[in-house]
Amino acid sequence: MTGNDAPLFVRGLCKRYPGFALRDVSFALRPGTITGLIGRNGAGKTTTLNSILGFVHPDAGEVRFGGLDMAGNARAVKQRLGFVSAGMTYYTRRKLRTITDVTRSFYDTWDEAAYRRCMSRFGLDEDKTPAALSNGMKIKYALALALSHGAELLILDEPTSGLDPVSREELVEVFLSLREEGKTLLFSTHITGDLEKCADRVIFLRRGAVAVDQPMDDFAGAYRLIRCPGEVPPALRALALGTCAVRDGHTVLLRREDAEGLGARIPALDEIMTHLEREGEA
Amino acid sequence: MILLLKKEFRLCLHPAALVMLATSALLLVPNYPFGVSFFYMALGIFFICLDGRENHDAAFTLALPVSRREAVRGRVLFGACLELMQLALCAAFAALRSRWIGADNQAGMDGNLALIGQGFLLFGVFNIVFFPAHYRDIGKVGVPFALGAAAMFLLITLDVVATYAVPFVRDVLDTPDPAHLGAKLACLAAGAAAWLILTGAAIRIAARRFEALDLQL
Repeated sequence: MTGNDAPLFVRGLCKRYPGFALRDVSFALRPGTITGLIGRNGAGKTTTLNSILGFVHPDAGEVRFGGLDMAGNARAVKQRLGFVSAGMTYYTRRKLRTITDVTRSFYDTWDEAAYRRCMSRFGLDEDKTPAALSNGMKIKYALALALSHGAELLILDEPTSGLDPVSREELVEVFLSLREEGKTLLFSTHITGDLEKCADRVIFLRRGAVAVDQPMDDFAGAYRLIRCPGEVPPALRALALGTCAVRDGHTVLLRREDAEGLGARIPALDEIMTHLEREGEA
Repeated sequence: MILLLKKEFRLCLHPAALVMLATSALLLVPNYPFGVSFFYMALGIFFICLDGRENHDAAFTLALPVSRREAVRGRVLFGACLELMQLALCAAFAALRSRWIGADNQAGMDGNLALIGQGFLLFGVFNIVFFPAHYRDIGKVGVPFALGAAAMFLLITLDVVATYAVPFVRDVLDTPDPAHLGAKLACLAAGAAAWLILTGAAIRIAARRFEALDLQL
């Protein structure tokens, strides 16, 4: 994907803070896909999203939305962009109807019929306040607003954090249906189980840099996990990408080609992530 | 800008600011430092910004198709609208006072046109201190307000002292309307001009600082 084709194109994004640096983050989203941005707490997910959205000023790098940069085209870009964050609740004591009225007035592209469909589909009552909504419903309301102004690209920051499994499942179904409608989603999370159900591509951030940027199936299929009672044998340790201690020994992450004949299994996404975080410690 | 002002009034207007408007009625209290009425609206603006921080107002606003500069201008002009409402109410209560109670006030300026000019100046000074300090780091509201309030109280104190110690203020400005109307109108016009200049400067400085700010949302 080039900077002009991709709904979101990021190249060479750098941001330095005391004790943390985002280093040369680059990726491009394909239209109509769900991309998971994963990494442990502090890996740089939120800094990346904040840099993309212009909330922080990157030290270097380029961010383009369908070929447009935010700085010179903020109005046009924001018409096509929706941002949803689980950690943020706006105006908790105002009615949803009031928040919608205000939001609607800013968008030339507002589609009232789409808004009504979303509110009905998500079971949202306009006479309620955000304070009266569950966390899952707050996310759905934010999605309803974004979808009603015709957002083609949805940036979701930890949307399933703090939700119960049933609510998370519901949201994942919503994300999948949005993808079917041709929307592009960038989904930051550390709950990797949700991504396994819906993501087409995974970007794994580690210590402020992109460690992996692959299609989901390639990423999940590239590794194998074996369980070793007791200590990890030296021969296996030499092949290990990372090890984690478990109750009766260790689990070891290997490249698929190194694991043939060892009785390894396909690891879950969170197992890959936790083991890769230990890379170099094995 | 109209859309942003509409957003401010519908989503960001804190009830305390409306209560503060009612403090204009303090102009009916005998022997009261009327400048304090203007401080109460500054307190109302403080509550609006505090409430905005708690409700992630900056993130909501910046997600809308507006620039940072426009967001700042919307907030400062919203504060300016409230200040004008307070000044209008104070002028109305000053007129009521002079008709029913008498304008004379032993604790500072009488309830007259010069007082409204002083109110403009107080609000202008608050705006130029508070908003640029707040938009240096929007997570901080208390310290900018303390600085703005300190500047206002310094001016209020100077005003009270001047009504005793400065002959022009004591004999010309601190008199019931319509005596010395020309000088008081000049004082009103000077206060309004100062308010316009200081509020415009507050917008420019605050916007520049907000544009440079990294927001941790």
